[in-house]
Amino acid sequence: MNVERFEAMGCEIVVSGAEPAAVAAVFEEWEAAFSLFRPDSELSRVNRSTGSVVAVSPLFARTLQVALDVAAETDGLVDPTLCGRWGEVRLAGRVLSRFPGVALDLNGVVKSLAVDASAELISDEGFVSAGGDIAVRGPVDVALPHGGAIRVVEGGVATSGTASRGQHLVDPRTGEPSDSPWEQVTASGSSCLAADVAAKVAFLLGADGPAWLDDREIAGRFVARDGAIVESAAWRGALACT
Amino acid sequence: MANDSRIDRARARARSAKAVIASGTLLIFGVAFVGAKIHAPGHPKGKPKPLGAPQSFKRAVKQSIAQGGVVQPAIQPPPVGTATS
Repeated sequence: MNVERFEAMGCEIVVSGAEPAAVAAVFEEWEAAFSLFRPDSELSRVNRSTGSVVAVSPLFARTLQVALDVAAETDGLVDPTLCGRWGEVRLAGRVLSRFPGVALDLNGVVKSLAVDASAELISDEGFVSAGGDIAVRGPVDVALPHGGAIRVVEGGVATSGTASRGQHLVDPRTGEPSDSPWEQVTASGSSCLAADVAAKVAFLLGADGPAWLDDREIAGRFVARDGAIVESAAWRGALACT
Repeated sequence: MANDSRIDRARARARSAKAVIASGTLLIFGVAFVGAKIHAPGHPKGKPKPLGAPQSFKRAVKQSIAQGGVVQPAIQPPPVGTATS
């Protein structure tokens, strides 16, 4: 399997089965629109806007709609406002309205959506990974944190946690860095977005994370701070079936 | 009698003029109404479509948000790994 690597969105992109330049162009388009570190990005312009109503691009509108749907599905655990005010954000077509001063941060969905968009460029079989958030076309074996590997047959897989850059996941319920007992949570999903959301929510829910995945029959693997491994029922079932 | 006749003729002319003005007004209003229905941008000829993402896209995203993927035991050395980023 021919694998290409490059940097984008502040992480390593690994591509197989698609033209790297085309994938890089997709990531550049998403980064140009949603980077919080580029003053000329559309997200930065929206956040700087002092008006309560702003017209946004079609890509921005679609992405924000996904972020709001994710917030609703997760009861605000993945929140595009990071402060529990996602319910006040309104989107009608391409017209965004919110209270001035309510800043948006779409990082919770942008990277995984860019991975899913890039995976559309895979001609036959392959994968796209952005910092370990992966979408596959055809079966791909994926190494897991703390050893081991799984074969992702369909959809994607993602890992959330504190191991890479310290306590970087903020719990919107408290506004503080999460005190989850988990160091990392890996989850599968029907897409990279679904996997990323499942991993984040399962991580933030702490001890209730495995039950949240079990309720939705999502395969997930938890690594506790002491190194202990906990697997969701779907994970155990999938890996025991052969 | 001559005065009555002149008044009658004047009244007849006034009635005719009122009828012409009323008919003209109705005709102009009718033409403008139909023209506005056909041409004015504020009068859509078809069912309006929302400007945002299609409903099918929104449904697909909503349905897929909390759906697991398909995983199996690995059988080859993995070319890529999942990790926090």
